[in-house]
Amino acid sequence: MPVCSSEPVPARPNANGLKTMPHSNEPAVLLDGIRAFIDPAHVRIDPDSGLNYGRDWTRLYTPNPLAVVLPGSVDQAQQLVRYANDHRLALVPSGGRTGLSGAAVACQGEIVVSLERMNQILEFDPVDRSVTCQAGVVTEAVQNFARDHGLYYPVDFASRGSSQIGGNIATNAGGIKVIRYGLTRNWITGLKVITGRGDLLELNRGLIKNASGYDLRHLFIGSEGTLGLIVEATLQLTRPLREPVVMVLGVPDLDSLMSLYHVFRNKLELSAFEFFSETALRYVLKKGLHRPFDVATPYYVLIEFDNLEQLHTDTALALFEQCAEQGWLADGVISQSESQAKELWRLREDISESIAEYQPYKNDLAVRISRAPAFLAEADALLTREYPDFEVLWYGHIGDGNLHINILKPAELDPAAFITKCGAVSEHLFGVLQQYGGSISAEHGVGLTKKPYLNYTRNETEISYLRAIKQVFDPNGVMNPGKIFDSHNDA
Amino acid sequence: MKILVAVKRVVDYNVKVRAKADGSGVETANVKMSMNPFDEIAIEEAVRLQEAGKAKEIVAVSLGVAACQDTIRTALAMGADRGILVETDAELQPLAVAKLLKAVVEKEQPDLLILGKQAIDDDANQTGQMLAALLGWSQGTFASKVEIGAGEINVTREVDGGLETVAVKLPAVITTDLRLNEPRFVKLPNIMKAKKKPLAVLKPDELGVDVAPRLVTLKVQEPPKRQAGIKVDTVAILVDKLRNEAHVI
Ligand SMILES: Cc1cc2nc3c(=O)[nH]c(=O)nc-3n(C[C@H](O)[C@H](O)[C@H](O)COP(=O)(O)OP(=O)(O)OC[C@H]3O[C@@H](n4cnc5c(N)ncnc54)[C@H](O)[C@@H]3O)c2cc1C
Ligand SMILES: Cc1cc2nc3c(=O)[nH]c(=O)nc-3n(C[C@H](O)[C@H](O)[C@H](O)COP(=O)(O)OP(=O)(O)OC[C@H]3O[C@@H](n4cnc5c(N)ncnc54)[C@H](O)[C@@H]3O)c2cc1C
Repeated sequence: MPVCSSEPVPARPNANGLKTMPHSNEPAVLLDGIRAFIDPAHVRIDPDSGLNYGRDWTRLYTPNPLAVVLPGSVDQAQQLVRYANDHRLALVPSGGRTGLSGAAVACQGEIVVSLERMNQILEFDPVDRSVTCQAGVVTEAVQNFARDHGLYYPVDFASRGSSQIGGNIATNAGGIKVIRYGLTRNWITGLKVITGRGDLLELNRGLIKNASGYDLRHLFIGSEGTLGLIVEATLQLTRPLREPVVMVLGVPDLDSLMSLYHVFRNKLELSAFEFFSETALRYVLKKGLHRPFDVATPYYVLIEFDNLEQLHTDTALALFEQCAEQGWLADGVISQSESQAKELWRLREDISESIAEYQPYKNDLAVRISRAPAFLAEADALLTREYPDFEVLWYGHIGDGNLHINILKPAELDPAAFITKCGAVSEHLFGVLQQYGGSISAEHGVGLTKKPYLNYTRNETEISYLRAIKQVFDPNGVMNPGKIFDSHNDA
Repeated sequence: MKILVAVKRVVDYNVKVRAKADGSGVETANVKMSMNPFDEIAIEEAVRLQEAGKAKEIVAVSLGVAACQDTIRTALAMGADRGILVETDAELQPLAVAKLLKAVVEKEQPDLLILGKQAIDDDANQTGQMLAALLGWSQGTFASKVEIGAGEINVTREVDGGLETVAVKLPAVITTDLRLNEPRFVKLPNIMKAKKKPLAVLKPDELGVDVAPRLVTLKVQEPPKRQAGIKVDTVAILVDKLRNEAHVI
């Protein structure tokens, strides 16, 4: 398995050379120091914890943390960051570990900081329509809390049952409702963070408007744990959809798919526009789901809209007829109940799980929506030409210009060789992507998996600004070193 | 063979129901309503029989407020040929429903009736049985498999500890269980077609049925809130709590 990176990180007490370090840098001594302010039961060094907490959803890296520490309060978290600065320890913030970029992986003797115990909802305000919670609250718990109060937290995706609000913020998570509600960034009105320097900052305090200088909150959103620890967040809530109706349509080609997007979006308030290929569908069918209709088509779109009144369903039906006449779709079904809406969603949402056993190599690309079909066609042709032996599945949030490409590992191929080959695929693919002005990561982040390719999306000058910002918040490089880009400050 | 299927409009399975503040019933204002899931299975079974050439006509019947037309339209889009709504704003209890259906059966003369084994709102599990008794027809309840023979139908029922197969003579009443089939999704073109299928509206008076409720609801209340769970540190503590607090071992 590949290692995290070749660069040095600040003081790796259990890495090679351990014996030559000064006495106070002995791992056991360092951890005892932490046990002085965090209950020893929550400073774990057992191998099971290391394996569990040392990695995210990716399986490309071998976890190897020094310890797993679970602070129980903001104060303990702050002491921990300060302690890490004093002793030059590397910290890896850890949420629900559902991340797909290796950003929450600890494979070089870092200390994993799990927010799991900080999982309380602290305050709800119906007038502000806001909820303040600790960073370790699970996404679905916030969604349910909102629902119980007649409201809605619209950031949603398949890993909702495990991912944490802190992790969502640190990755600026997107998901399946972005077309209507935007990314996590749109819903954060306040953050409490501990910077890499160990300072506690309260950013924006739940205000809608706040024109008093740089908005640091937005730097932490999408920072992948490299600037500091997010310990609390204030989230905006909204009104729930009244009656979400889901359609799944069979589409003959990519151009038709864009025509559908255009036509349906003009006439209806869409809350989702997702797509998946027939090859991807086959894997969820293997898991026991049923075809939505008998004809197989190369692509499918899942469209969700809010049926505020009967009128909207009528509009959808009229559009369906119109598009069928144009040959843009071959067949389609529409949900008659919420259960059916959920069942139809599973055709799209279960894909990721259904292919997990094939150790897929994942790419999460973004292009402007208008360019998605041309890019997809070119990329597909390239993959078929250069890598005929690989099975490639396409699906994603195409309404946001976001395409997930999953390459399945052929059973006979050794994992390391597969990853090397896929790396070569990526270079090819990103070359095309660059011509389209796209991004190598739409919503999963850079972490470790996309670090070698950052320059396809951000140029050197831009990256130098990213580094400078990191330097301001985390001068000693204790926060998630080696993620997004290699750190140079410790050389 | 002509099949009549009863379809009920109920609070959607996914809605978290709440008791009305005055305890008189369940909150239904602004709540998503859908077809009773067991009735979806009933329609699906009828359509499959028709597709297999065993049934000629499928009539979907609903009883209740005008909005039940939506439920009938769904049944038509799934494949039923025509619909009948017995329209009333009155509260309908299982006996009244059975009597109304009996009257419709006398008009329509079907060979087979398929109903859900229960509706997920009241969970009464009475209508099919009462109807079979009122009609003097044979009944095969909780069907998980239906096989049509000559003048007879084999109905496999899920009973405690296994399966039981009964042969019922036509005309008959069948009530569906969950595992009978998986209902299809509704195709968009079929919704268009369903709009053109006939849907007749009748009133209980025309059928000569008195639907006045025989039972009085005293009170509807939410179940007690579940206590939050706790985590225990060791198996020993767990066993102790199960034995001495929960008294389950
Ligand atoms: C089946 C499946 C479907 C998915 N679908 C989507 C999707 O549609 N859209 C999408 O955007 N993502 C998706 N993801 C990816 C993932 O779920 C999200 O990125 C999620 O936001 C990660 O949250 P987490 O709590 O699991 O974070 P983790 O994986 O634990 O961590 C992610 C990053 O955040 C940092 N971090 C975590 N908590 C904190 C904190 N408190 N303070 C500072 N940094 C922190 C970590 O260091 C790491 O850099 C999917 C994943 C799976 C497995
Ligand atoms: C009657 C009236 C009503 C108003 N109502 C509102 C309101 O409802 N909401 C609101 O937000 N504001 C309001 N304002 C304030 C003002 O109109 C806004 O702040 C507006 O955005 C300023 O734009 P400007 O081009 O006039 O900027 P200027 O006043 O010219 O400059 C404002 C700032 O922007 C900088 N700046 C200008 N152009 C650039 C550039 N190209 N690159 C970098 N920096 C630049 C300037 O250096 C300065 O710091 C109102 C003002 C008036 C007079």
